[in-house]
Amino acid sequence: MPSIANCSIPDDLFYHVENNTWLRDCGNDVFELGMTDIAQSLAGAVIHCRIKKAGKGVKEGKSLATVESGKWVGPVKAPFACEIVERNEAVEQDASLLNKSPYERGWIARIKPADPAAARASLLDAASAVPGFEEYMKQHGITECTHCEGCDLP
Amino acid sequence: MSTDPRKLPIHADARHADVPLEEKQRLFDEVVADTRYHDTLYGCYECGICVAACPSARFYDFSPRVFAQTLARKDVHGFYELLVDSVWDCSQCFSCTRCPRQNSPGGLITIMREVAVNNGLQSAKDALAAYSRVIYKVMSTGTQVSPDMLQPDFFPDWGPDVQAVSDNLETWRRAIPTETLHTLELAWDVSEKTRVELFLIWKLTGNFDMIEKIDESSYLILEEIMEELLEEHGYDFDDIESII
Repeated sequence: MPSIANCSIPDDLFYHVENNTWLRDCGNDVFELGMTDIAQSLAGAVIHCRIKKAGKGVKEGKSLATVESGKWVGPVKAPFACEIVERNEAVEQDASLLNKSPYERGWIARIKPADPAAARASLLDAASAVPGFEEYMKQHGITECTHCEGCDLP
Repeated sequence: MSTDPRKLPIHADARHADVPLEEKQRLFDEVVADTRYHDTLYGCYECGICVAACPSARFYDFSPRVFAQTLARKDVHGFYELLVDSVWDCSQCFSCTRCPRQNSPGGLITIMREVAVNNGLQSAKDALAAYSRVIYKVMSTGTQVSPDMLQPDFFPDWGPDVQAVSDNLETWRRAIPTETLHTLELAWDVSEKTRVELFLIWKLTGNFDMIEKIDESSYLILEEIMEELLEEHGYDFDDIESII
């Protein structure tokens, strides 16, 4: 698994660097989406995550969830126009999953792109995303990722 | 030599020389055009009472008197320096309103901050970056300091106590009178009717549009929260003005 300054970037996922999100191809044109390790480090301890309901359409760049941490609030942006197929109720109940398990139990929503082919083409694999994330971290002054107690990342 | 007072050699060492004079003048004029301006500045004879009363002056390289003097002199270069720096050092306590000339340096600063925000100045973005949660809470609920803001990340200067408080928030909250209904995400319970009225006020007064230039992420979230609730109540979010 590629890693930058203690930040995990799993090989089996796709990434949207600007939005700081990852996507997992679940088949049938459905993608699971969540915040990267870098995003959860930047946010700090997350206390609320409000996700739009299943069936909602979201335009590219618009918010599909709101994440609130102790020191920050921000949107989780849709990487492409999509419909929310399912939201992670466990994260709605316990938003600290975004810190504890950003790539597994902390997935935020399953989404279906309006144009699956264009959506796939817009995403980067882990190796291609690393330079972009390095630049992102430099811009935001992140020297390393931090993991809370009980985090499932190495 | 130019006779324009704004181009005198005294300004040769003014910072932000890269910013055109016209831009500084435009921002200055925007401050002066504010309807509150002429009730906040009557001229300054440098008695220093405002500085003596000012808590920020004790801790920062900051002086409310400089604001009154600079604006009274129409020193556009000095004004711009204040606008992109010292304007954010004021605590807005208005201790300075004890001025014997009835000036209100704090009032001038209020106007200048609004101009900085309305023009999306980088200094305003930097100054407000740490307040995204406050902006979100105030604009989405009308309450600001909610119990769940007591987090170690937000108050590191409080030491280990804040961790203990945030771990047992619900218990601590129950020690406070029941009028608040023991809310955690809000300072007190806010009805849907109040939120609808609040959102209409933000939209109609232009306060919501101010956020777009200063904090795009908060704007994005608030836009969707407001749009959803207002449309549920029969308002067309993109044509709110029509209700007037």
